[in-house]
Amino acid sequence: MAVMVVVEVAVAVTKSTLLTHLTAAALALPGLLPNAAIAGRVEETYNADFQYGHYSESGQRIDVDIFEATASMPVGKNITAGFNVVRDVITGASPMYNKRDDQGQIVQVLSGASRCGSSICDQRDAVTGNLSYFWDTMSATLSGGYSREHDYTSRYSALNLSFDLNKKLTTVNVGGSVAFDEVQPTYFNSDCGIKCHKTSQQYLLGISQILDKDSLLVNNMTVSYSRGYLSDPYKLVAFYQPDSSYVADPNQAGVYQQLDPTNPDNVLIGSDTTTVPMTIMGMRDTRPRNKFQWAWLTQYIRHFETLNHAALHADYRFTTDNWGINSHTLELSWHQPIAEDWQLIPRFRYYSQDQADFFRPVFDGDPQQYKHYSSDYRLAGFGALSGGIKISKAFTELKSVSDLRFQAGIEYYDHRASYQLGSRAANHTFSDFSYYLVTASFNLKF
Amino acid sequence: MSKLISFSLLLCLTACTEVLPRQRGNLALPQMAITPDALEFGLRQHTAFSKEAANGGYGGGGGGCGCN
Repeated sequence: MAVMVVVEVAVAVTKSTLLTHLTAAALALPGLLPNAAIAGRVEETYNADFQYGHYSESGQRIDVDIFEATASMPVGKNITAGFNVVRDVITGASPMYNKRDDQGQIVQVLSGASRCGSSICDQRDAVTGNLSYFWDTMSATLSGGYSREHDYTSRYSALNLSFDLNKKLTTVNVGGSVAFDEVQPTYFNSDCGIKCHKTSQQYLLGISQILDKDSLLVNNMTVSYSRGYLSDPYKLVAFYQPDSSYVADPNQAGVYQQLDPTNPDNVLIGSDTTTVPMTIMGMRDTRPRNKFQWAWLTQYIRHFETLNHAALHADYRFTTDNWGINSHTLELSWHQPIAEDWQLIPRFRYYSQDQADFFRPVFDGDPQQYKHYSSDYRLAGFGALSGGIKISKAFTELKSVSDLRFQAGIEYYDHRASYQLGSRAANHTFSDFSYYLVTASFNLKF
Repeated sequence: MSKLISFSLLLCLTACTEVLPRQRGNLALPQMAITPDALEFGLRQHTAFSKEAANGGYGGGGGGCGCN
């Protein structure tokens, strides 16, 4: 999980500090990155934020409870320091592979139960820190983080630079990050042995531009490159092989069984004798060892004074990668201030992606015919619609704090093959699912 | 990279108007921030990252996880 380091990018406009913040606003653009420093805008307050989130998938799959805290503070006149801690508590079951049922329809098989009652019982703890230095028309943010799960460790560092140009109507952002990940599967995997590695780099070039006194536009381009072990060690791919040379153990048919003790990557996941004698081989998910992804993001933000200072946020993102996946994301949100510092925020999101070149729900034939193969539903062609609403209440009259804000929201996400642009995979309904995400947070400035 | 800069400069020449510092009050409103709620943004981005193949665009980088 990406760990977000929070440096407030919004300038809170309170009655007591209106002049100060209007001056700050006049000096700088809102930030391009949620965790990047903004040129010419050093933090003037101490900030502390706490968030709880609950994520729940349909079909009694994954549930996650998220606990997160972040703080930032000014250090002298030119430096802001921040840190973030997060804990994810994860339980449930995850799709492991696909197979054909008696009617020949593709169905998912979930991971089975383990000692804790769920197949997945994990906890992720992560900490990140950042330090920003501000000049008059430039800032630099150095950040780093560490994330630990029982079978996954990630370390990353990033540097982002922000430059104000054109009388501070234009901000150019450049950045780079590198992450070093280690995967330690809970059982032996010959692809990586006891431990395997992945290195990911991402580079950003972005420009945010004030268009007029009520609107601004952001254009970002990121280039990502990952290499190393990019497969999922817990997912299998079913290969249907008529007249296979593999022989099933009649006492173990239909259950997991190591077929060839000398090759632990080949496990027998079942047999199908309803039509012709057929063996179903379960092979380990095997993806290319490098991935190159290019992303473009355009964000348009507009203020509507006559609608009680409401704001529209419209985002469009396109990505393409060398695995054959193109994706489109459209997101709209409407920030509507209502009475007494309340704010109502409805949002809508649409996402569509193509399937990876090496994805099939199930495979037919000999695995040796294929160099790469995966049946991971996240590499399938699909679309997703989501909608949600959030409510926010700010308290600006308190004595001990300059700003206190409570926020709560809920979002429903519906993943369906038929939602894909062009509906090229509409019959792949086996992977349809939904989830809801509930969040609650409060933010303090003092 | 050059295309991005050219596009933005072209856009600015055709669409931008000079906005004096004293005219930027609306742009400083919390709801006009590019990321009004960074904590929630991070959580939503992470959730999407763990369920979808797309990544990037928003920048910021960050570490990986076993979720994807």
